[in-house]
Amino acid sequence: MALNVTLRMFRYRPDQSARYDMFKVTVPDAANVLDAIEQAWAQHDRALMFRHACHHASCGTCAVRVNGREVLPCIVPVKKYLDGDKPLTIEPLKNFSLVGDLVVDVANFFQKQAASGLVITRPTENKLEGKPIAYDQGLDPASVETVPFNRFENCIECGICLSACPTMAASVKFFGPASLAALERELDKTTDPQRRARLLELADDEQGVWRCHSAWECTETCPQNVRPAEAIMALRRRIFAQRFGFGK
Amino acid sequence: MSVPHVLIIGAGSTGSATAHDLALRGLRVTVVERGEIASGTTGRNHCLLHSGGRYCVNDQEGAIECIEENLILRRIMPHVLEMNDGLFVALDDEDYAFKEQFLAGCAECRIPAREIQVAQALKIEPFLNPRIKAAVQVPDGVFEPWRFCVSFLATAKKNGATIRNFAEVQDLIFQGNAIAGAKIFDQRTGKTESIGADLIVNATGAWAGMVAAMAKADVPVAPTAGVMVAIGKRFNNMVINRMHKPHDGDIVVPIRNTSIIGTTSWRVTQPDAIEIPQDQIDKMIEAGQLLMPILKKGVQRGVMAVARPLIASANVDARDFSRTFEAFNHRKQGGAAGIITISGGKTTTARGMAEKVSDVVCAELGIHAECKTKTTPLISYREFYN
Ligand SMILES: Cc1cc2nc3c(=O)[nH]c(=O)nc-3n(C[C@H](O)[C@H](O)[C@H](O)COP(=O)(O)OP(=O)(O)OC[C@H]3O[C@@H](n4cnc5c(N)ncnc54)[C@H](O)[C@@H]3O)c2cc1C
Ligand code: SF4
Repeated sequence: MALNVTLRMFRYRPDQSARYDMFKVTVPDAANVLDAIEQAWAQHDRALMFRHACHHASCGTCAVRVNGREVLPCIVPVKKYLDGDKPLTIEPLKNFSLVGDLVVDVANFFQKQAASGLVITRPTENKLEGKPIAYDQGLDPASVETVPFNRFENCIECGICLSACPTMAASVKFFGPASLAALERELDKTTDPQRRARLLELADDEQGVWRCHSAWECTETCPQNVRPAEAIMALRRRIFAQRFGFGK
Repeated sequence: MSVPHVLIIGAGSTGSATAHDLALRGLRVTVVERGEIASGTTGRNHCLLHSGGRYCVNDQEGAIECIEENLILRRIMPHVLEMNDGLFVALDDEDYAFKEQFLAGCAECRIPAREIQVAQALKIEPFLNPRIKAAVQVPDGVFEPWRFCVSFLATAKKNGATIRNFAEVQDLIFQGNAIAGAKIFDQRTGKTESIGADLIVNATGAWAGMVAAMAKADVPVAPTAGVMVAIGKRFNNMVINRMHKPHDGDIVVPIRNTSIIGTTSWRVTQPDAIEIPQDQIDKMIEAGQLLMPILKKGVQRGVMAVARPLIASANVDARDFSRTFEAFNHRKQGGAAGIITISGGKTTTARGMAEKVSDVVCAELGIHAECKTKTTPLISYREFYN
């Protein structure tokens, strides 16, 4: 089975005014929105600019808005949006400067991520889907590392939460949900008092946690269940605790 | 003499690692990539940092390259790897009979491997098929493909390289019989421009034949597609492989909170937007579920297919093409001077491929500069955006 779908694609170049182009594409029944975008590029317009790499929600490059809502097009099915022959509107993320078509400039975001210092791998819990595992009994010290299992952080740095954040819309200087969540994860991991103080200082900055209006959009849109809004609340509690000398 | 300028076409794992190598050797480097970094084969691959176990019986040359590079990458880019080893498991008597050959192959290729008790394997990986008959542990790992490439490019950039994505090579510029540069279409501006180069490295993977054709050269690249299915849950920490000669759908790679089942192999005529036959998907999911029955309960997140840039040999089945790589100096084959094609290989062996092609580049340019990538740690991918 194949699906016929029309994409109403946002088009932009710095020297032209923005417009929407209509692309009719045919994709397999099970196709995700990214497949449809790639077909539009392959069949209709090789100049269409979009970012993509892994197609399985790991790289975080492909985030866009579909019918106004932020998603990772690599994991949402085209079918989910089909409504007669109404087109799907595909637009770039908000709150980033535009580069071309669906591509936005992520430099600023990655600089903030770098400032958070979050290492993207973390030790795993000793459970897998609720089942306990005994990694310390299995690994061969002679083979390579003897450290417990590790895995990549859930945050894929896709920028979706920044696009959905009303505080970010008011000021792009805001440290932003993802990077604040990264601070909270780092605080969870590190015991070095100096580093902890530095991280808390960043969170407590003028552009930090106090700017958040608790709109909760970040937690709602995050495709990876990172829960930035909860992290921001946790950071506030940490700052209070430090100020008034109780807790951790 | 001024420093020679090398233009690398393609920012997959091969082009990215080559940019790093040549920049470290002090050359002037520009990379052009028609789309996002790693938007070709590299981004959409299986993310397996091969120990070489998969090839230790059929393709020992490829296996040795894997284990050597695996151990180097652990040192230079630990920040983009999940390093949890892998298990090769025997599911039936035929697999079990293959075990001795497998262990011997690992030993011959110097892949650290050891058999572990089935009961113990099930303790480490509780979602494995409980009926497995044997398990062997090897140093497999997992890489995040986009960050893998961007780490190489960030380091190259710090060492002076210029990286331009959304810039497509549309033609090569001849000066007599030699290539002197390339015509680039810059998608950001919609303009076409020329970039001069003392030498061009064609690192376009499965597209290498098309770029080589612009140089009126021929490379025996055989785009060989493979499909993978992503499941939206993670049930294993180690990479789970079936212990038998490579088959379809015999690896489950865990990455972040997903599992990727892969992969199949069939020849395609061109590598863009590959059509995926449903039977390839079904076959593979079934084979993945044999390894880990719980995968039935996971929600399918997506299906993707890309093409391997394998080097073709006549009369050999696609699955059996060697996974090793080759650098072609077209001048030495009677073609145009000024362009080298690097193709084949794997993401796991990208650094080694880069070393080999960079040696060829330096020899061609008459430069003596040693490769330093084995011991140079890469900087964070985030610094690419500084
Ligand atoms: C299904 C599958 C699974 C795999 N799994 C693994 C695995 O688990 N582990 C592993 O180590 N290896 C794996 N491989 C092998 C590995 O992915 C490839 O060998 C490797 O990615 C090739 O990298 P490359 O840089 O040569 O090619 P690519 O990544 O394809 O890079 C070439 C780049 O050139 C660009 N390009 C093309 N034409 C032009 C042009 N005219 N101008 C500018 N740019 C251009 C493309 O956009 C592309 O980004 C797998 C391969 C396949 C097919
Ligand atoms: S927190 Fe979630 S939405 Fe925000 S960048 Fe990370 S993965 Fe994306």
